[in-house]
Amino acid sequence: MPDFDDLVGSDLDPAERARLERVHELLVAAGPPPEPPAVVLPFRSRRRRRGALLAVAAALAVAAFAIGAAVGNHSAGRSVDFVVSMNGTASAPSASASLTVYELDSAGNWPMRMDVAGLAPRSGRRPFELWLTRNGRLAALCGSFVTNTGGTANVPLNAPYRFDEYDGWVVVEEGTKTPLLATSI
Amino acid sequence: MPVVELPEATDGQLIVRIAGGDRRAFDELYGRYARAVLGLALRRLGDRGRAEDATQEAFVAIWRSARTYDPTRGRGGAWLYAVARNAITDGLRRTPEPVGELVDGPGREPDPADEAESSWSAWRVHRALEVLPSHERPVIELAYWKGLSQSEIADRLQIPLGTVKTRTRSALSRLADALDGELR
Repeated sequence: MPDFDDLVGSDLDPAERARLERVHELLVAAGPPPEPPAVVLPFRSRRRRRGALLAVAAALAVAAFAIGAAVGNHSAGRSVDFVVSMNGTASAPSASASLTVYELDSAGNWPMRMDVAGLAPRSGRRPFELWLTRNGRLAALCGSFVTNTGGTANVPLNAPYRFDEYDGWVVVEEGTKTPLLATSI
Repeated sequence: MPVVELPEATDGQLIVRIAGGDRRAFDELYGRYARAVLGLALRRLGDRGRAEDATQEAFVAIWRSARTYDPTRGRGGAWLYAVARNAITDGLRRTPEPVGELVDGPGREPDPADEAESSWSAWRVHRALEVLPSHERPVIELAYWKGLSQSEIADRLQIPLGTVKTRTRSALSRLADALDGELR
């Protein structure tokens, strides 16, 4: 714990000194704040139907997405419905990712967890974004994340959408439309 | 033409905007409270992974519950604390921590009232830290949580010792103002 007198000196007005000392005590008691999660979540108010998950599973299979078939797997008490592999595009050929989609939660969202490798931060150090696509266009944002200098990240994401309205996923750098990672069709 | 700086929206104003579906307001609120919510979850759950999941659920709850916020009944920070705390508690009930070996002897759990008070206090402090400008925050972090002396901070940041002292006083005063205002 730092010494309060060392921090503020001895020439303070007594009232001001008491005010700052109270803050000092609160800081010591509170301890350091944690580094925040990297993800900013998007939300939509629309409710999703459970049946949509089956539709997207079928769509993903038809599109030859690499589904890890992890049904029955569990993480933090949740059942895994399927796992989607993503490959680096020509813009990020070393990148790869695995997107684990869990069962629909009670709030009507599909929690997901994304493991990313080989995707080093770009020069602008803007976050990356995971999007659902439709007909070759970015259609619905699933969340944003940052990678460490080694190009890896393991981040929770959220898909509050009906999957059967989309045909794939891509990762882009925030503010751009160039896919860096994409589900392979 | 002079640049006019708009006053920062209060937490309560942001919640009202979120209730109307304003995603930018949500992002702003997330920036202000991500550390505070995660800190609260870590205190309650202990485990970083579970705390991050709980933080996500807490922000989902904030988004979904924003319409229930009544500015006439209290400040935004207190409402957010209540919603986040409830979401974290609900998550704990759904995914209880693994049962470990029981240890005989006096209970080690803190008194619930003390725990609640310290959680609320930490929440306010962590939120208040977000008001510090980028040149003041490091002197506080290095002094309080890295254990560096003022001289060591000056060396680390490569600034004069007098500047460290000035910034420390200024930061503490700014934090006092924010905490006195009970985080509007």
